Amino acid sequence: MLLNSVIIILREVLEAALLISVLLVLTQSLERSFRWVSWALLSGMIGAMVYAIGIDAISEWFDGVGQEVVNALLQAGIFSLIAVTMVLLPRQLYTRESGRLLAFVMILTVALVLTREGAEVTIYLYGFLRGSDQLFRVLLGAAIGASIGVSASVLFYYTLRNLSKRRTIGIGVVVLMLVGSGMALQAAQLLIQADWLPARLPIWDSSGWISETSVTGQLLYALIGYEATPTAIQAGFQFGGLLLLAIVFLVCQWRYRATTRLIVDS
Amino acid sequence: MFDIEIRNHLFIPSEFSIPANTKIKLVVYNRDATPEEFESYELNREKVITGNRKATIFIGPLPAGEYPFFGEFYPETAQGKIIAE
Repeated sequence: MLLNSVIIILREVLEAALLISVLLVLTQSLERSFRWVSWALLSGMIGAMVYAIGIDAISEWFDGVGQEVVNALLQAGIFSLIAVTMVLLPRQLYTRESGRLLAFVMILTVALVLTREGAEVTIYLYGFLRGSDQLFRVLLGAAIGASIGVSASVLFYYTLRNLSKRRTIGIGVVVLMLVGSGMALQAAQLLIQADWLPARLPIWDSSGWISETSVTGQLLYALIGYEATPTAIQAGFQFGGLLLLAIVFLVCQWRYRATTRLIVDS
Repeated sequence: MFDIEIRNHLFIPSEFSIPANTKIKLVVYNRDATPEEFESYELNREKVITGNRKATIFIGPLPAGEYPFFGEFYPETAQGKIIAE
């Protein structure tokens, strides 16, 4: 039970913590306040509790596929917020604007991610709270899993931070785009599971190279929503999503570069 | 439509066959008081089923083959396999 608890919590924490650390490193590079983080964590935890409490009712929605639809909406929401970030970031790089709107978008992004990942953790842990003799081992496992996930993200944060500012921002933006495209893929996957999008045979099987159960597979899942056997629709959502985010960022950056000089420079 | 149960953290039946290349509707009844998560990497499926509830999961179309699934919350015992043929 202990090891299983470690794995479950690590998987969920890693996904959220990775995104939070990228947003933090971007905030740091732009020399903006970190204050948004506490609001993001608080609203995310409330969101997770509400989702976990309402899970029975939500599961009944849309003829029993409410969970898939709500999760897909959360993923689509995160994707859209990352797209808005791609619009706002270039402006932040070239002007001395306060960044309050960007901070608000980051709060919403993290809140949605924590709602999705946190609800599952809450439901899992709550199952053991009601008089299970496994409780101690499960909680210990959860603490270990969370610590590993947070440590990995702290390491990621400092690795990025120690690069030149230009490079930090560049890599941060690319990672955000990859995370966003993974959200698009997972949203499509959930709508297929709900039978809202047509189910088709997978277009490839890369499980022989990188199994989804391996450490690499799990890391790739946390980063880009890796699927070893995607269907054409999923791959389309992922590549389409990535392309869209890249175009939005490049167009916005080009527009500001044409008129102003870069403030953030190393 | 296919029905299976979760009882004492076991899938019953733990193995069943479905037609290959056909989409099916699977209903999983959780007869335990504790929540479980139906999960399968091979099927690309993941769904929480709280205690004494059921969940509908659409599966396939699948090429002929074996597709393991498990209960993420109690994987020591909750293991199963779908055979597409």
